[in-house]
Amino acid sequence: MKESAKRIFQSGWINFKRNSYLSMGTTGVMVLVLLLFSGLMAVNYLSSQVVSSLQGKVDVSVYFKNEATEADILMVKKDLEDLSEVKLVEYISKDQALGDFKEKHAGDALVQESLAELDYNPLQASLNVKAQTSSQYASVVGFLEANKFRSIVDKINFYENEEVIKKIERIYNGVQNWGFIATMALALVAVLVTFNTIRLTIYNQKQEIEIMRLVGGSNWHIKAPYLVEGGLYGALAASIAAVVFYPALIFVSPKAETLMPGVGLISYFVSNMFQFLGMLFFIGILLGVASSFIAIRKFLRV
Amino acid sequence: MIELKDVSTIYDNSIALDGVDLQVKQGEFVSLVGPSGAGKSTLLRLLTRELIPNKGEVTLDGVNLAELSLNDLPYLRRKIGMVFQDFKLLSSKNAFENVAFALEVCGVSKEEAAEDVPKVLAIVGLSDKIKNFPHQMSGGEKQRLAIARALIHRPKIILADEPTGNLDPVNSYDVVKLLMKINELGTTVILATHDREIVNAVGKRVISMENGKIVRDQVVNGKYVI
Repeated sequence: MKESAKRIFQSGWINFKRNSYLSMGTTGVMVLVLLLFSGLMAVNYLSSQVVSSLQGKVDVSVYFKNEATEADILMVKKDLEDLSEVKLVEYISKDQALGDFKEKHAGDALVQESLAELDYNPLQASLNVKAQTSSQYASVVGFLEANKFRSIVDKINFYENEEVIKKIERIYNGVQNWGFIATMALALVAVLVTFNTIRLTIYNQKQEIEIMRLVGGSNWHIKAPYLVEGGLYGALAASIAAVVFYPALIFVSPKAETLMPGVGLISYFVSNMFQFLGMLFFIGILLGVASSFIAIRKFLRV
Repeated sequence: MIELKDVSTIYDNSIALDGVDLQVKQGEFVSLVGPSGAGKSTLLRLLTRELIPNKGEVTLDGVNLAELSLNDLPYLRRKIGMVFQDFKLLSSKNAFENVAFALEVCGVSKEEAAEDVPKVLAIVGLSDKIKNFPHQMSGGEKQRLAIARALIHRPKIILADEPTGNLDPVNSYDVVKLLMKINELGTTVILATHDREIVNAVGKRVISMENGKIVRDQVVNGKYVI
């Protein structure tokens, strides 16, 4: 068994070495597929980070009319807190809102002077509501719209944020879908190229295969070296893709961080290196072996 | 041991074998003669199950070859040694490697091959050519090397398809003598040829074929008659 496996791997390796130019071309196409796949993973990670950070910033602010009493507002707060969709409700009184506003615009003399001119607090009391997930805001808003205290509510500012989130999600989904289609298209090209390489190897070794057949070589002994050859294309391609991808991350990561502060592209791929490399090798080898398998089925008669 | 019952084979509307009935016993030496296209090679290809008959049944040791699964096919072929007119040797391998290759593809270890191959090469008289490549050998030596490869699995049957077709009379006779020696050791030999001198010299069972049919079967001391 050990002897057989050794022979199969040796034959696969010899096939791989013998067709050096063809092997380079096949591996090159596979490298492109794997790089595209890796790039897609990076884009996926970036967009998911952006979406989740935006989703974290989203809340529903309920502004109350000036005549609303604190007791009424606290009643609404209590009602909201009883909802299972609601994670947190924060009450901001008129005074606190003014204090926050002043503090925020402490350096702006014009704002400070304008506020001083007014003899009343123009800001409204509000409730900031955070839902468990972003998809639950609509039902929270629905609850507020139907609430018995609806008459003291001046406005609910969820709708603008909702549009932004939806837009980002659309972009995110678009990138994912088109990236997936591009990866699949290139993967198909890689399968075709590998398939043809194995086909040529089979053709070149026609006599050897015929002799193997006639002397009673087992099907496995005849076919397996070509599967190994395909797998080697995939493994080499995965190695090259990894060698190209990680240094490219060093170059791209600071730029991504400038655009999206706090998003550590390189740290993500370093901390998940084993999973990522495992996946890269798995996909590469799978592509190679599957292409060989198709070529063997079609062209190798035993 | 080998039995063909009403076997017919058709290639692209032309009949290669037409209702052939044949029985070959263990240890027989059979010369299969006839002009090109008579159906000799087709008959041999049926025995290695490279072909399945369109009609009839080919059995070996009671097993219908058409019913053999793909997984069992290698085991059938290990029982049969094949020798061809064009030798079918691998030019990139030397004499030892050409024979050892037949063992390796069947999963035999290198140590076992290193023990068996020199013995078989000695039987065919190629002990001194063990490291020679096919291009460094004469036609007769190449054919003897091909016979060594056919013998390596200790087959029950040797099928030789025009083995002397590319050889001069002296080498042809040497190869046939070798096949007869193998036959004396108990291996069934089926020799397909159209070499009259060789067949007459062998003087064993001769089956004559024409247009896909067996037209004559001389069981004892047969001669080449068409």
